[in-house]
Amino acid sequence: MTTDPVPLLPRGTRLHQDRVRDTWVLLVPERALLLDEIGTAILQEVDGRSSLAAISCRLAERYGAPEPDVASDVREFLDGLVGQRLVDYQ
Amino acid sequence: MAWKKPIIKNIACMNM
Repeated sequence: MTTDPVPLLPRGTRLHQDRVRDTWVLLVPERALLLDEIGTAILQEVDGRSSLAAISCRLAERYGAPEPDVASDVREFLDGLVGQRLVDYQ
Repeated sequence: MAWKKPIIKNIACMNM
């Protein structure tokens, strides 16, 4: 695995907007996970082409936050999802 | 909204 992997949602995993509750969920076979705004923003950037650094850079700019802090949080968040096989790194 | 650590929660065994 490279130090700047490209995350992607595996087959069968998708983001879904629950309009009734005005929230986003990550749907995987037989499971659903509730996302907050930041988690949603991160996963909306996961397109299978953008590297972790590119995603972090865009989010840091959007939220006006220090890039190292954003990169650390994004990495920790996605690593956790990779550990649960909800996201893949390529 | 300011940046903060993202949160993801399993939905308890709770509209498509």
